Amino acid sequence: MASITDDHQENFGIDGNINNCDEKAKLNSDTQRDTGTVVERGGGGEEKDMAPLAGSSIHRSSSRPQLDLSGAAIQGTFEERDPTILLPNQSDDISHLALDIGGSLIKLVYFSRREDQSINDRRKKTIKARLGISNGNRRSYPILGGRLHFVKFETIKIKECLDFIYSKQLHRGGMDSRRWQSKGPSTENTVIKATGGGAYKFSDLFKERLGISIEKEDEMNCLVAGANFLLKAIRHEAFTHMEGQKEFVQIDQNDLFPYLLVNIGSGVSMIKVDGDGKFQRVSGTNVGGGTYWGLGKLLTKCKSFDELLELSQRGDNRTIDMLVGDIYGGMDYSKIGLSASTIASSFGKAISENKELNDYRPEDISLSLLRMISYNIGQISYLNALRFGLKRIFFGGFFIRGHAYTMDTISFAVHFWSKGEAQAMFLRHEGFLGALGAFMSNEKHGLDDLMVHQLVERFPMGAPYMGGNIHGPPLGDLNEKISWMEKFLQKGTEITAPVPMAPPGTTGLGGFEVPSSKGDTLRSDASELNVGVLHLVPSLEVFPLLADPKTYEPNTIDLSDRSELQYWFTVLSEHLSDLVDKAVASEGGTDDAKRRGDAFARAFSAHLARLMEEPAAYGKLGLANLLELREECLREFHFIDAYRSIKQRENEASLAVLPDLLKELDCMTEETRLLTLIEGVLAANIFDWGSRACVELYHKGTIIEIYRMSRNKMQRPWRVDDFDIFKERMFGSGDKKPQPHKRALLFVDNSGADIVLGMLPLARELLRRGTEVVLVANSLPALNDVTAMEVPDIVAEAAKHCDILRGAAEAGGLLVDAMINIQDCSKESSSSVPLMVVENGCGSPCIDLRQVSSELAAAAKDADLVILEGMGRALHTNFNAQFKCDALKLAMVKNQRLAEKLIKGNIYDCVCRFEPAS
Amino acid sequence: MERGGIEEKLGEKELRQSVDEVSNLALDIGGSLIKIVYFSSNSGSSVDDQVHGSSNGNSNHSVLSGRLHFEKFETRKIDDWIGYLSSKQLRQYGAQCNQAPASDKNIIKATGGGAFKFADLLKEKLGIILDKEDEMDCLVTGANFLLKAVHNEAFTYVDGQKEYVQIDQKDLYPYLLVNIGSGVSMIKVDSDSKFERVSGTSVGGGTFLGLGKLLTKCKSFDDLLELSHQGNNRAIDMLVGDIYGGMDYSKIGLTSTAIASSFGKAISKEKELEDYRPEDMARSLLRMISNNIGQIAYLNALRFGLKRIFFGGFFIRGHAYTMDTISVAVNFWSKGEAKAMFLRHEGFLGALGAFMSYEKNNPADDASHQFVKQFPNSSYCIEDRIQSSDSTNASDNSCIECRLQVAK
Repeated sequence: MASITDDHQENFGIDGNINNCDEKAKLNSDTQRDTGTVVERGGGGEEKDMAPLAGSSIHRSSSRPQLDLSGAAIQGTFEERDPTILLPNQSDDISHLALDIGGSLIKLVYFSRREDQSINDRRKKTIKARLGISNGNRRSYPILGGRLHFVKFETIKIKECLDFIYSKQLHRGGMDSRRWQSKGPSTENTVIKATGGGAYKFSDLFKERLGISIEKEDEMNCLVAGANFLLKAIRHEAFTHMEGQKEFVQIDQNDLFPYLLVNIGSGVSMIKVDGDGKFQRVSGTNVGGGTYWGLGKLLTKCKSFDELLELSQRGDNRTIDMLVGDIYGGMDYSKIGLSASTIASSFGKAISENKELNDYRPEDISLSLLRMISYNIGQISYLNALRFGLKRIFFGGFFIRGHAYTMDTISFAVHFWSKGEAQAMFLRHEGFLGALGAFMSNEKHGLDDLMVHQLVERFPMGAPYMGGNIHGPPLGDLNEKISWMEKFLQKGTEITAPVPMAPPGTTGLGGFEVPSSKGDTLRSDASELNVGVLHLVPSLEVFPLLADPKTYEPNTIDLSDRSELQYWFTVLSEHLSDLVDKAVASEGGTDDAKRRGDAFARAFSAHLARLMEEPAAYGKLGLANLLELREECLREFHFIDAYRSIKQRENEASLAVLPDLLKELDCMTEETRLLTLIEGVLAANIFDWGSRACVELYHKGTIIEIYRMSRNKMQRPWRVDDFDIFKERMFGSGDKKPQPHKRALLFVDNSGADIVLGMLPLARELLRRGTEVVLVANSLPALNDVTAMEVPDIVAEAAKHCDILRGAAEAGGLLVDAMINIQDCSKESSSSVPLMVVENGCGSPCIDLRQVSSELAAAAKDADLVILEGMGRALHTNFNAQFKCDALKLAMVKNQRLAEKLIKGNIYDCVCRFEPAS
Repeated sequence: MERGGIEEKLGEKELRQSVDEVSNLALDIGGSLIKIVYFSSNSGSSVDDQVHGSSNGNSNHSVLSGRLHFEKFETRKIDDWIGYLSSKQLRQYGAQCNQAPASDKNIIKATGGGAFKFADLLKEKLGIILDKEDEMDCLVTGANFLLKAVHNEAFTYVDGQKEYVQIDQKDLYPYLLVNIGSGVSMIKVDSDSKFERVSGTSVGGGTFLGLGKLLTKCKSFDDLLELSHQGNNRAIDMLVGDIYGGMDYSKIGLTSTAIASSFGKAISKEKELEDYRPEDMARSLLRMISNNIGQIAYLNALRFGLKRIFFGGFFIRGHAYTMDTISVAVNFWSKGEAKAMFLRHEGFLGALGAFMSYEKNNPADDASHQFVKQFPNSSYCIEDRIQSSDSTNASDNSCIECRLQVAK
């Protein structure tokens, strides 16, 4: 295990501060349920999640694994690339907070900084030396890592907003500022960027209560800056919505402009956007969200915008609208392309003499109104897009608020008027454009340079949400979070969906005064999208060996297929109790662990339920995302490594038989040995705690017994069998002896037999042939997957029995006792080719190669062979991935359905897929 | 109000019409209103064809002088208009021709959706067979006829000032015709016979009346319009100034009095429907719809490079504020480059077009006396000197004094 340095302890120290601050937060949130209506989208519990558990030796994070600063340096050494420097060290006037104060809602975007401390562990140091990474003499600003949080408050409850800001010390540049700035900035001079009509109105209040000045940013500027940022930085931000089907659109950053941005607030603005900061308001309409809500209120007596929307879902507009068929006696007016069901005149039937307002159903009125306004906006938008030759129209603003029918009608209008040539697109963060833009307007944070691959969105659990209502105040810390979960447990109520986006009682309209609504009703709209916390991880990079990063799609299984989702939902649900047992045991089985375990189970079930309801709620959903969500959820409840003891036990058992295996191998000819090695990898891949089938196996025999059984079952040809091609690449045919690979990246999977008896011997063989080997392992634990922290210990243990491994490990700087010698002259002293270990930047059983650690990206530079092992990395993800170099994908399929679907085979079938460099 | 007005005028004409020969009656049956156009020759007033016929060398035509009449009813008041039609000496409708087969006598031209819907009813009740003419065809034919043949037909309306526009007949096309009925159709007209419905919106006259009725309990379109006269939309609309604390958002060219959100103030918690003045709501509604139509019309004109936009249809009905709002909208969105124009006979485009189609569909000119078939043809129009009975007051159901050229 790599040791944790002092830096880490210090890091935990910050968390201590945070906890102190939360005492204040707690005071604020002690007000009982429903009075505190703020639900912080996960942000609330976030920092506290990092609160240390005594004696924990593993650096934990609820976020993307913390990566060290080497990323900065790497980027610095690549001359062809602009170094991504996100935050100059000396900036001590950074605003961590921006507001969009509308008439009804205050939208708040704030940043919590995560300083990625360089971990001075020796492995990394030698890796750096080995890979030719140096910090050099270039500017060495610390790279800003952190999270963007999105929070909403009702404007009439502005006091809660002020309390929230105070409790998080956001007006002082965030709670972490004290660490960053030895002398904190004087509050009197703090300036917060804000936009929206209310920025003027409340500026005195902010000054008085928090001592901060509000600097007003132009609303349009903010909208555009926010939209540009989202469209460029978030992979699946934009989506189309036709006939209830949501489809995410991946937008090529280089081909984004120009576009039309339609912001539907109380009124509607249409903005032609030509580039960053280049835009023009070209049109608009006064028939917008305010019209819907205003007219709707007059006609239906609805008390809130949400109520009105809710009504529309049960409406039938035919009772009120005059349709073409009504005029033409049920016939189409096909000559001009109007079908009988086309609305000829909105509210045209309401002219009937015999009926009064009370004779119409409010539901029908609401729907008729919604269609009228949505169609109208869609039409005018399209005409403006046409006028300027804009191919894309993005709709945002609080009128839409993820309401499926609204999006459908707008899409329909655009589709109808453009005769299918234009498509309406929507944004997941639609309500936060202004606030985000205000945040971006502070040039000093440099966030606009962020690339898609440096952002990771997480969906931590917010306040419990059930029966369409959010219950409770913002969650201060983990304990509060668990308490809420338990409360529902005791009540026996099902939490139907977690992480609601809006606090209760909001009306969703910006820009004007809005009455307070009842306060405890929020429609449970299945279509509502969730906005997570954006994690900024500047050291993430695109895996450089991908053949075409643009077309790369990590997920092999698309979960937009309902039955597929249902299946995996069931698999994960069934596996849950076992996982909770393991997790609780890993934390010593204490009462606290049990509480957290229950809370985790609740939370994860709620996530699953939410996703079953609305698969695209968290963005595009693939199996990898689902599996990662589970790991994140575990971490959220402070289960750092549920399989820790199991992994240790299996590692020990496997290492005990390793010497015999190596001896056995050494007696074989080279060619036989290669086959045996590959067989070994496939057989050892059976050990997978993520597989239900394997968990059952564990109950039947010891690890070695299972391994032997698995080995004996190996029979070629495997279901996918490219071994002969691989063998030819290794040994050549006839007299031709091919060059051995220069460097191989081995993406390892499970602990125990898988790494020890499978991958390590294969690595040894490659080393023996003169190929450098880089073992690529997870940054954070996921199931029983081996982590980059654990691999060096395993290698060191194995090296005791094998000279090849020892020499290579020494050369790679993996052996602690050899460090003193190696450190300064690692390159020169190594007679042997090195064996190295890098972390992949992931904490999931799968891997998205668009977002890997900078360390891995650097290691990939000279690599000409990639070996992906295991279901998660070679099948669930990357089965179809193409690489610039040779690629070998090895896995045993431990799931019947997957076997049928992917390889038309059966459970325990094997995949050995070799693809030469493309 | 509306009905009253019409009946009054009918009363005045009753005597004369009873002796007049009613011919070429045509219908436009829309979703809300049914429009009727017919010609009545002054009895015994057959003008010597030499005077008018010889000048164009058309010696086999005679000219009847008479009037084009325009009437309208609410479509839903079926009994009213059925009764009216019945009273108009049914036998004499249609292509009057003694030699024609009996069945032809009862054929009258009709357009509008109702021409389909009410075909059976009319046949049953009055024995009338409707000869359906395409709605768009009729609209365009009617508009082309009016724009070419009637002096001072088109006018602009800015700040309460009506200004007639002389249209050079040779430079009429292309133009955008916006017909605001229950719904709105936008038609690009390229020539006498070439046109295309390029757009439309469901937010039209039906929306105004429908929503208006729900909001104000008004009984008729005219009542609602009347109400809007007395209203102030500021009570209900959210203006730019309401958001920006009385300041303009000048950066994007919005003054503080611009409407940011129609009905945007109606979200106020304290107030309910009863707390708002019907006048204000009617005004707000009228502005919302007029403004919207003006905007969409302008965008479509822009799209096809059309320099003129004519607004017609019964929504406008000479209502000053409506025309003003539409004009302001077009002016605003086009930054002063385009002007909205209106037609004095705006409501009768379709009916007129149907009326015009009598000769079009009846080429066997030896048989019947024909309505001046060259009407849309400019060279004849001038000679025919069609005049309005009241050239200064654009009352929508005024008669047009005209002469009818008839085959001998």
